Amino acid sequence: MRRYLVRRLAAFVATLFFVSVLVFVVVRVLPGDPALLIMGTEGSPEVAARLREAMGLNRAIPVQYADWLWRALRGDLGVSIQYDVPVARLIVSRLPVTLPLTLLAACLMSVTALPLGLYAATRHRRAGDYVAMVFSQIGIAIPSFWAGLLLILLFSVRLGWVQSGGFEGWSGGLWPGIRSLLLPAIALGLFQAAVLVRATRSAVLDVLREEYVRTARAKGVSEALVLGKHTLRNALVPIVTVAGIQLGQLMAGSIILESVFALPGLGRLALGAITARDLPVVQGVTLFVAACIVLINFAVDIAYVILDPRIRYD
Amino acid sequence: MRLVRTLGLSAALVLGLLLSPAAAQAPRSVVVQTVTEPPGLDLTATPASATAAVVFYNIQEALVKVDRHGKLVPWLAERWHTTDNRNYTFFLKRGVRFHNGREMTAADVKYVFERAMNPETKHPYPGYYAAISDIIVRDDYTITFSLKSLNANFLLNLARQGSVIYPREAVDALKSEPMGTGPFKLAEWVRGDRIVLTRNPDYHVKGLPMLDRVVFRFIPDPNATLAALKAGDVDASLFGLGPEHVQELQKDARFQVIVGDTTNDVILATNNSRKPYADVGVRRAITYAIDKQDVLKGAMFGLGKILGSNVDPLNPYYIDVSGLMPYDPAKAKKLLVEAGYPNGFETVLKVAPQYYYTVRTGEIIVNHLAKVGVKVKIEQIEWGQWISRVWRDADYDLTIIGHAEAWDIANYANPKYYFRYDSAEFQNLFNASEVTLDDKARRELYVKMQRKLVEDAPAVWLYMHPRLVVAKKGIQGIWKDLPVPSADLSEVAWAK
Repeated sequence: MRRYLVRRLAAFVATLFFVSVLVFVVVRVLPGDPALLIMGTEGSPEVAARLREAMGLNRAIPVQYADWLWRALRGDLGVSIQYDVPVARLIVSRLPVTLPLTLLAACLMSVTALPLGLYAATRHRRAGDYVAMVFSQIGIAIPSFWAGLLLILLFSVRLGWVQSGGFEGWSGGLWPGIRSLLLPAIALGLFQAAVLVRATRSAVLDVLREEYVRTARAKGVSEALVLGKHTLRNALVPIVTVAGIQLGQLMAGSIILESVFALPGLGRLALGAITARDLPVVQGVTLFVAACIVLINFAVDIAYVILDPRIRYD
Repeated sequence: MRLVRTLGLSAALVLGLLLSPAAAQAPRSVVVQTVTEPPGLDLTATPASATAAVVFYNIQEALVKVDRHGKLVPWLAERWHTTDNRNYTFFLKRGVRFHNGREMTAADVKYVFERAMNPETKHPYPGYYAAISDIIVRDDYTITFSLKSLNANFLLNLARQGSVIYPREAVDALKSEPMGTGPFKLAEWVRGDRIVLTRNPDYHVKGLPMLDRVVFRFIPDPNATLAALKAGDVDASLFGLGPEHVQELQKDARFQVIVGDTTNDVILATNNSRKPYADVGVRRAITYAIDKQDVLKGAMFGLGKILGSNVDPLNPYYIDVSGLMPYDPAKAKKLLVEAGYPNGFETVLKVAPQYYYTVRTGEIIVNHLAKVGVKVKIEQIEWGQWISRVWRDADYDLTIIGHAEAWDIANYANPKYYFRYDSAEFQNLFNASEVTLDDKARRELYVKMQRKLVEDAPAVWLYMHPRLVVAKKGIQGIWKDLPVPSADLSEVAWAK
């Protein structure tokens, strides 16, 4: 286990390094100049050139990277060009939106997908299975931004139950915060749930065909115990794999939904930064998200060991 | 769930009781939607219209103001005088206080302009102040600007967004905490979500502002904006909706739709330094080939105004030249034959979908040009690329973009601007207009310039982008036209 952890840590550092180099090069090779974007079409190119110089963008790319890396290693991710605020502070300020949103969506995804997938598997090739699969198909087919707009139309415009967008913050208590994240979390979780239903169904079906399930049933074990203990636990390894990947996708999916719901989250920060060529922010957010995804994968690996004691990392 | 509802209900009751005396009056706050979050709030560092929308006239003001009718009026300077058009003496309004409570004096004005003229500060428009040779403080309320040469735009330049007056001690925080003399103070900027302004109780204009609180919410998606309006979460959308939303909202009794004029002229620019557009015949042919009415109808649902040259209808020297080169495909074909393109040619139109109208307009123009044999390929590029490739490097054949700045005819006198239009005659007219102070003579020069532009067709001026505001019924005082890129909310109020 210790060797595994060391290996894992080394891979973590290597991934982040690789991502940082990639983003750095891509963003700088991309046509588009932050100074020009700040000045717009009516400013003078001379002023833009001076601004470029002051931002240190005229230096060679490797020099810029080395400078950035040296600062980043000491915990300084630079200052946003757009906002004039340290990047780290900017990222932290967006977490109270993005993290709860992702977690809420993940919860919604799990509580709908697992029972539904299990149900569909037990009703294999019967009406219940088909209904569940049709719902899943619809869920996959509907783009999340459209689902978001439909939800807004129904719950904010028609019924007036929740605000149409924006984020009220956590200062007013737990409920107002959750309320403003509920619709986007549903829209975000819907698609992922639809995918997870299918993964759950096929994983459970596989296990249901196993000999030990037949044995358990032959022994007279109750169906609930067969499904809950013998089947689901064994089916969870592939399900957790898919869910882990989806958790990463939820973070990516939030970019679009944060625009639809006007939420001040990490996704919109990244999108705005790319449009404005706010290089330090693009760099910082990408690194942060990459780190999160690596950590999620790590958590999935650990979950394997807990779920299936036969799995060992040596 | 029931507990939550009961709690919520009693909280609402208590709140209602607390607020009941105020509830009898009209509400004193509005929530307005804007599309883009400002890239910093320092008007002396960014020309972004998103910054001007929040800061200009609301938080910071200038010596001279362009009012809602496009007229120059005295503002922080209550009057000025000049005998030779070379030395302007301004008399500052007394008792004007910055948001920190300190009174504005001539020394602040001197500091602001000297800072703008210093290249180190990277002010976006140093050119506006290039004519100033000296700034002399006579006393706390009197200041004289000496000019190196005559400058017909001097007063106008003092009214621009980059000429706002701020206290010297607040200069380092302008980007995130702008301070000024405006009717509102910055209360809070929740990055990514909203900017909140509160009433300045010491405002130098009696009775203003009418509101206690203004919230600018950033909602990038037009459909989300529409939903927020209908759900009652925002009171007005000042910039966010397109013409396709207007018809539906005009039928809705809850809203008022304001359609006005702007200084934003949407053009089809041709690269005058490139074949075949270096040939004036080809450029004229392109103009004749485009049915601007059809473009306006198709791309803008008929809202906006057809243009004939760069000068927009809000400009005092505007003349309607849109009929001088009317839609005439037969003539366009003839001109193309004369220019040596009897079978037309192939060309690329670069547009940036960041501005929705560019793509829509382009798609219609492609059809018009196809009818005279010009085969246009549309290439959509991202805004950052557009500004580097098209605007800076002039690496394009055709492009569509809106030029929002007022008084921007100077771009046509600059052969290095991305049109690459280089006419000595036009440049002479423009240079003369810059030093002609007599209004009648200057107007004549502007008329000549507009006619010259039509004749040379360095670009096709398609239409003026309309101002489209949707607000709840009962909100009064919103500017109808937009002669400056500001969202002046000082006179906005709810009807009693």
